[in-house]
Amino acid sequence: MAGFFSSPVLVFSSAIALRTSFFFYGLWQDANSPMKYTDIDYYVFTDAARFVSRGGSPYERETYRYTPLLAWMLLPTTWSGTLFSFGKVLFAFSDIVAGWLIVLVLVNGKKMSMERALKFASIWLLNPMVATISTRGSSEGLLGVMVIALLWAITQKKIALAGVLLGLGVHFKIYPFIYAPSIIWWLDDEHIGSPNPARKAGESRSLVTIAKNFLNEARMDLTVTSLLTFLLLNTLMYTKYDFPFIQHTYLHHVTRIDHRHNFSPYNTLLYLSSTSPSTHTVKLESLAFIPQLFLSAFALPLLLAKKDLPSTMLAQTFAFVTFNKVCTSQYFLWYTILLPLYLSITSCTLLSSPRTGLLALALWVAAQVLWLQQGFQLEFLGKSTFVPGLWGAGLAFFAVNCWILGVVVKDIGNIGNTGGQAKGVGEKVTKRGEGKVVQ
Amino acid sequence: MRQRITYLQEPQDAIDPSTLKVTKNSISTKSITAAKEEKLTFSLEELPQELVKVLEDSHELHIRWVSETSYGAIVPLVSRLSPGLHVFYTPQRNSNTSELLCPMLKKAFSKLLDCKSPEDSFTALPVERFSHSAALQYYAPLPSLPQLVMYVLENVCDTGPTSHRVECEARAVGLISASYVDLNYDTISHAFTLTAFFPPQAQNMSLTNLSPGSSRLEVGILSIEKPLEVEELSLGGFLTVVGEDHKPSPTLFSFPSRHHPTSQFFTSSFKLPTGLHPTLQLNITDAVPPMADRSCSLHAHLTLPKQIFADKYQLFDPLFMSSKGLKKVHYITSPVDLEAPEYAVDSWGSSLLVELAPLTTTFSSSLSMAEIPLHLRYLRPNEKKGGQEKTEIPYPVLFWACTADEGSKFPINPFDRVNLGYDGLFGPRTIFWHLNPEVGGNGERLVSGLSVPVLDLDGSRWVESGTAWVVGLGFLWVLWCLWGVWRRSGFGSGRVEVGKEKKRQ
Repeated sequence: MAGFFSSPVLVFSSAIALRTSFFFYGLWQDANSPMKYTDIDYYVFTDAARFVSRGGSPYERETYRYTPLLAWMLLPTTWSGTLFSFGKVLFAFSDIVAGWLIVLVLVNGKKMSMERALKFASIWLLNPMVATISTRGSSEGLLGVMVIALLWAITQKKIALAGVLLGLGVHFKIYPFIYAPSIIWWLDDEHIGSPNPARKAGESRSLVTIAKNFLNEARMDLTVTSLLTFLLLNTLMYTKYDFPFIQHTYLHHVTRIDHRHNFSPYNTLLYLSSTSPSTHTVKLESLAFIPQLFLSAFALPLLLAKKDLPSTMLAQTFAFVTFNKVCTSQYFLWYTILLPLYLSITSCTLLSSPRTGLLALALWVAAQVLWLQQGFQLEFLGKSTFVPGLWGAGLAFFAVNCWILGVVVKDIGNIGNTGGQAKGVGEKVTKRGEGKVVQ
Repeated sequence: MRQRITYLQEPQDAIDPSTLKVTKNSISTKSITAAKEEKLTFSLEELPQELVKVLEDSHELHIRWVSETSYGAIVPLVSRLSPGLHVFYTPQRNSNTSELLCPMLKKAFSKLLDCKSPEDSFTALPVERFSHSAALQYYAPLPSLPQLVMYVLENVCDTGPTSHRVECEARAVGLISASYVDLNYDTISHAFTLTAFFPPQAQNMSLTNLSPGSSRLEVGILSIEKPLEVEELSLGGFLTVVGEDHKPSPTLFSFPSRHHPTSQFFTSSFKLPTGLHPTLQLNITDAVPPMADRSCSLHAHLTLPKQIFADKYQLFDPLFMSSKGLKKVHYITSPVDLEAPEYAVDSWGSSLLVELAPLTTTFSSSLSMAEIPLHLRYLRPNEKKGGQEKTEIPYPVLFWACTADEGSKFPINPFDRVNLGYDGLFGPRTIFWHLNPEVGGNGERLVSGLSVPVLDLDGSRWVESGTAWVVGLGFLWVLWCLWGVWRRSGFGSGRVEVGKEKKRQ
């Protein structure tokens, strides 16, 4: 086994073989069974692509809630019957590229050995869940590659590229906007390695100076390129598809009232309050975004980003998904892509203390199993398991996630204290106590 | 007002004309076993003002009510619709839909109708295909017509002279036992007709025209004859215009008919357990094409109230379809929201026309089966019902659609029925052979019921506070961990002295 992980060729061939076999198995099942392997969403994407190929709008397909870019990318699926599966190949290929980028971030950024990096990257590359999701035709892999490419670009100091990727990611799925504050906060002089602006001991620390110091070149570049990309893409789509684009890609997420059972702790509450006029002056569920955004877009970036950017991005994504008003298993992929990077830090309790790690995994799985069992009773047997079953299971899953998030936060906080080895991404080796002030 | 009353008889029940007693203004007989169709034609002046206003806003308006009680159809009145209240409506050209239509429907049929306005509550029918179908559709379950009877008594019968009133009141009260009632209006004929069908039974007949000058009463007593052509129906018997004719005049006539009967039966029920994705199971006896030399296909037309819907995107894969005994979806209301809960949907629901390729069952070679996968919306939470809510959908209409001979035409025959919801989805040269719905199990009504799991309010007292506490505690726990990080190493990289960080707070 040791030999296996020392060879990138072996690991990547296995990852490709895994996806290839799933892909062909899927083709076989689709052709021979009334139960389809292909994800329902894949039909949504390809239908939308067909509308586009006929000169129409992808939003003519009901429940198409994505950027037109996705439908454009899948245009080849409309060319012939064999090419119908082009999208799955594209998504699976994105998976592999994402895996390769994880390796690059670990090897170049964290100065890790190739073998160790491949072991961590295999959490993504050889993960059957990841391979299934992309070969079934779910587009989350595409997002995965964008996020990890963003991280890689940052570690390579390719700020403009990172800005473009960030703008693209937010255009694609909104949630990557949470990475903007952490990346910007992280892009200080220490991390980008630019010479410290000469600051004399007696220089006044006026607000203007602080602001001037804060707005370094890298931060400006990232902000401008990402905003430009985001605005450019949205303007382009808006001029082409008009209001339906805004409605389905963005506004839908604000106004949606479909609260069919999902993992979110708010699920039952949303069902309840959607029917009865609340007795309270402030609707509880309308406050739900406060803890979510406070953690994922403010507190976690502020306190953790400079310690380790990749792990912070994992913590942010984890918090965003955990505190979201809607949560399905596809969302778990959003953080799975970043998981290898967090697990690779030396202060990671989940690995250094196998008991804690196994407990976390067991609880995470158990809460889901409990929820799924209750969901099955409701969905297929018609039992009213909304309360206490599904509600309780959703809250239990939330509690487990919060506990894990707490562990992750502590681990990232301990990065500097575990003795030397752990370094931030692409960080210049700086001696401690040089009197250098961050910013 | 013109009245046409037709008694339709099986050949063996055919009446002996000598038992008919015709006087100057009446016709009667002691006993007759027959089904009855009453067709009343009104001019606009004879109708209440509020109804006239609605009709003036309409290019065409067709209302169909069908009883939930199973009834035996008789030639030529064999076309069927799902039980309940159907409205097919086309607004006047170049004008908006009527704001008065929904209030009018509520007033005439039921205050409980979920009808806001044609824009909100009606769904669009395909207009481009064949010109003879209305533009908008509405449906609501409605077990009986007491409110219509009251409405007619108070608003229609009240206007004429006393003699007219007695006759009118008798007709109105009679509606309560009708198996179906059709109301039709279109701007071309400018007339409003009410047609009621009463199933076969033994009865007395005594019909009088009290004001022969101002109204016309035509009475037909017809029995089924064997037609010469397969596409035709044939009737023979006697016609009498009461007040004009002194004796019944014998008649025998044949006409090509769009709708034909079969002796095939079906039942409709939900497969257990239903869950949130119930399967409607159709069991069909003797599903054989009625015309051997034509191309015929079996169809089901479903009228689905909004709490339940079919997902057209699920019903396209040939393998999946054939595994369910289905062939192809020919029509589904568009758009159908695939996610919204029932109480957030304004439109009445959706209709679905699906071609069947029934699977033979193991029980008996004459019994075949098709399954239609459907989906439930979330319903409102309830209390004291254990989190279950009963709901039901009307029986679908099942028929064979066969291509008529090249050159066949179906001119409007005296018993023709159009605007049934599905006829407009086929070409003009289509013959419909109808299967007979049969109540399944121990039911008595032509509906398929199921139980829907909903949130049980009896157990959800703690949902609000419980969610708030758990989310709050989870949030605080993460904040606590973050606080720990801040105290130890601030928000810097962890490799810089803490003290320098703190200054920046």
